Amino acid sequence: MSTPLVLESAEALATAVKKGERSAADVTRAFLAQADRTAPSLGTYLHRLSDSALRDAEAIDRRRAKGETLGALAGVPVALKDNICVRGVPTTCGSKILEGYRPPYDAHVVERLRAADAVIVGKTNCDEFAMGSSTENSAFQVTRNPWNLDCVPGGSSGGSAATVAACEAPLSLGSDTGGSVRQPAAFCGVYGLKPTYGAVSRYGLVAFASSLDQIGPFARSARDTALIQSAICGRDARDTTSRGDARPISLDALERDLTGFRLGVPRSILEEAGEGLAPSIRAAFEGAISAYERAGAKIVDVALPHARYAIATYYLIAPAEASSNLARYDGVRYGLRHPDGDLREMYEATRGAGFGREVKRRILLGTYALSSGYYDAYYLRAQKVRTLIRKDFLDALAVSDSLLLPITPTPAFKIGEKTEDPLAMYLNDIFSIPASLAGVPALSFPVSFDASGLPIGLQLVGRPFDEETMLRVARAYEREHDAASRAPAIAVAGGGGAR
Amino acid sequence: MPIDVTVVRKIAALARLRIEPSEEERYARELGGILGFVEQLQALDVSGIEPTSQVTEGARPALRADVVCPSDVRDEALQGAPERDGDYFKVPQVV
Repeated sequence: MSTPLVLESAEALATAVKKGERSAADVTRAFLAQADRTAPSLGTYLHRLSDSALRDAEAIDRRRAKGETLGALAGVPVALKDNICVRGVPTTCGSKILEGYRPPYDAHVVERLRAADAVIVGKTNCDEFAMGSSTENSAFQVTRNPWNLDCVPGGSSGGSAATVAACEAPLSLGSDTGGSVRQPAAFCGVYGLKPTYGAVSRYGLVAFASSLDQIGPFARSARDTALIQSAICGRDARDTTSRGDARPISLDALERDLTGFRLGVPRSILEEAGEGLAPSIRAAFEGAISAYERAGAKIVDVALPHARYAIATYYLIAPAEASSNLARYDGVRYGLRHPDGDLREMYEATRGAGFGREVKRRILLGTYALSSGYYDAYYLRAQKVRTLIRKDFLDALAVSDSLLLPITPTPAFKIGEKTEDPLAMYLNDIFSIPASLAGVPALSFPVSFDASGLPIGLQLVGRPFDEETMLRVARAYEREHDAASRAPAIAVAGGGGAR
Repeated sequence: MPIDVTVVRKIAALARLRIEPSEEERYARELGGILGFVEQLQALDVSGIEPTSQVTEGARPALRADVVCPSDVRDEALQGAPERDGDYFKVPQVV
């Protein structure tokens, strides 16, 4: 039996479209049909673009018929987190305060995807303004984990992770501020890349914490991750932090073996999670180290002595920046307005009605950390600790070529399990936040499943602007293990969990 | 760091954020918990350490050519306004 189209890689689909073996319209129709079937029960999308996707695909087919050379993502459906702007398409960031907002411009990544002949199929659910680790903070709906519908998909980019896991789209984009691409990727059993800070332009990404925000892709293989990352990276004058150092990734380079490779293992960070570290994650971590040793890599012990301070540092810096960025939602130019008395009362009423609890909590925390008399003790001190955390990573990466560490302390948790205790939710970010503060690239990749069938991912961390090495290391694991090639039962019509 | 409802009201006012009186206690408790947790940073010696506000190392200021780039989206931008008056965003009377 041949592989169903929706289980094909983006690379294979784009190649087939370029050669004329498949039409972009047929590819798009297959994924739209898959999402018609599975998205209602998964809650992956806030806004689907089925009509425009099909029109875009037909236009790509016409251009091919005229003899034009198509781009690297020819006819490949891509879903976008709902904090990435598409001109004229609702962009809510999962918040009531932006309900009805239609941006008058495309994000840089949208321009780049279109230039690569990708087809944009919809906007995915997320935690409100990307603040959360479970997608339960969306003002609109719950998203379910395709591997177990009682579990969260992770967050904040939960919809983008779940839609790729369920084969509703072969690729998607999310945003990662403290782990919001990598953590849901692990929970959903897919690849999730947080590129180096500066590798991808944030023009058109709704800002959360500007010194940390990066757009990053989800995919079902290392090669597909490289394919979309190559399409979106590079310098854009409209984001002054974006850099030309980010270069396309060579797919051939991903196939090189690991002989002589130095894999850094910061074992001490495991102790930071203490009792919270699931035995299944620890076993997967130890198993991966053994697998890399067998593949010819040299294991190097490294230390990240300040990583234990990362959560405290992050929960000062990110809310402080968020409280500033979210000041723009004032009921004047777009979105919600609650008419109430004078201008100030209108601001307060609009923001009080439009923001959810987690967003309000972070605005209050950030405002406090920046307020007169507290700035030095909180925000400035956190920025200094950030310097120490970044130095830890650069030192560790001077004696190794990539680092291996967990990405989540547990597999996906149950919907509703952690919503009552914000601090407990924050502590789950212990493995994802350090690389965010350091600004270095990090990749979450699927390695195995626990006894209940939930996916387990691990994390690789690389040197600035060296996404290629991490993807090569993940690809070496992928060649020997089948965790990445399995699909959840919901993705395979008529049952059967593996291909 | 204990946070009481007076502090919550003061920060909420600074942030132009209406908090229902019934919610003030809960925010005070949650913020107090988080601020208690971040207190651990006070134990670290950071004397002589430069703060990191931007991780892009060695980046020269990224300047673009000083040329006019018309965006021509006035009508589209105004369409999102909750209230408008012709080509203006309309707000409640200020003075």
